[in-house]
Amino acid sequence: MRRRRGSAVADDAAIIEGSWREPEQFAVLFDRHAPHIHRYLARRADRQVADDLVAETFLAAFAKRHRYDLGHPDARPWLYGIATNLVNQHRRDEARQYRIRQAAIAEHDVPGHADRVAADVTAQAMRTVLNTALAALPAGDRDVLLLIAWEQLTYQEVSRALAIPVGTVRSRLNRARTKTRQALAGTDAAATYEEITTNE
Amino acid sequence: MNEMELLAELAQETPLPAPAELDAARARLVAAIATDPGAGRFAAAPQVAAHEPYPSAGQPVEPPRPVVPEPVRDAAKLMYGGAAGTVVQLIILLFYVGDIKAYHLTVGSHPLTTAQLVHLRPLIATLAIAFGLALIALWLWMARAVGRGRNWARILSTVLFGLATLQLTGLDSVAAVFWAMLTWLTGLAAVWELWRPASREFFKSARALRSGPPSQISRP
Repeated sequence: MRRRRGSAVADDAAIIEGSWREPEQFAVLFDRHAPHIHRYLARRADRQVADDLVAETFLAAFAKRHRYDLGHPDARPWLYGIATNLVNQHRRDEARQYRIRQAAIAEHDVPGHADRVAADVTAQAMRTVLNTALAALPAGDRDVLLLIAWEQLTYQEVSRALAIPVGTVRSRLNRARTKTRQALAGTDAAATYEEITTNE
Repeated sequence: MNEMELLAELAQETPLPAPAELDAARARLVAAIATDPGAGRFAAAPQVAAHEPYPSAGQPVEPPRPVVPEPVRDAAKLMYGGAAGTVVQLIILLFYVGDIKAYHLTVGSHPLTTAQLVHLRPLIATLAIAFGLALIALWLWMARAVGRGRNWARILSTVLFGLATLQLTGLDSVAAVFWAMLTWLTGLAAVWELWRPASREFFKSARALRSGPPSQISRP
């Protein structure tokens, strides 16, 4: 059985290969990755939708396990790819999640020192803008940006997850970052926040 | 603070789920695993093997098959291409069966006389057509077998390619060299595809799936 170098833990590819003959082994993959996939889905949709989508992700992965390329020991990009496809089928839930976050930020009351309050309020304002900017991004650009910024995937891993060339990952990330940066720069909040945090 | 840092900060707001939150999803997966044809094969195989050929309600269990990777698919396509090329060669050959001048046969270092060629023509033509048909069958057989993950087909294809390489010497016409080179290059590309890492993994996995658990291998 293929194992991680210097470790007694079998790598994901070995588990998937084992599950071809012993399907029960696939549960190990769930225990290993489901919490992170769930968190990714909860970040993009709400927790209830994430509960459902994490199950869908692993059911889809289990059904497609014979197609897994055993040359890749780490199955995370594959699972994130499936999860991303599923979350993109729930665009309304995702858009609603951004709106809920914006509303929650707007209603948030911050007691404390005046400068600190000002910093927190402007930080919240920036988050509101960020949520709006994320919601406005094309789905493909948003997928790349969030897999890199939130899930810490490398360009190569995102390329595998979304089945796109690394060059496309770079260009989509660049476009998404530019748009978000522009959205943030278009508000006074960014400048105020920088100013306050610099003075502190 | 740039947009990436702000995004990372936004991500902090969502913690990892509590284990209980994943229970429902895990239960769905376990249920799917339990209904999979391969589930419980290791435990059940010794009991059912002695009495019935298949371990489920009279229905043969199709062994899971790994998806054919691109290099193997390409190799199979090349082999089908090789078969098509041989068909073309055979058709051209049929056009020249009646043309005695097209026969270039020697016995030892002596070319055969026209009378000898006329006498032997039916035999030569039959042998040439049979050889062509055998080649086409070989191409198709190898393409089909490698597509099914048969490792012996990969080895046999490589051996046949080696033999085809030996056959390259001693060609006497431009057309013959052209066709032989075309066939040889097709074979070379197919063999190269068959020995790429993804292909190796595929043949290994296909063999592992066919062999099944140890209890099934050792049964009489």
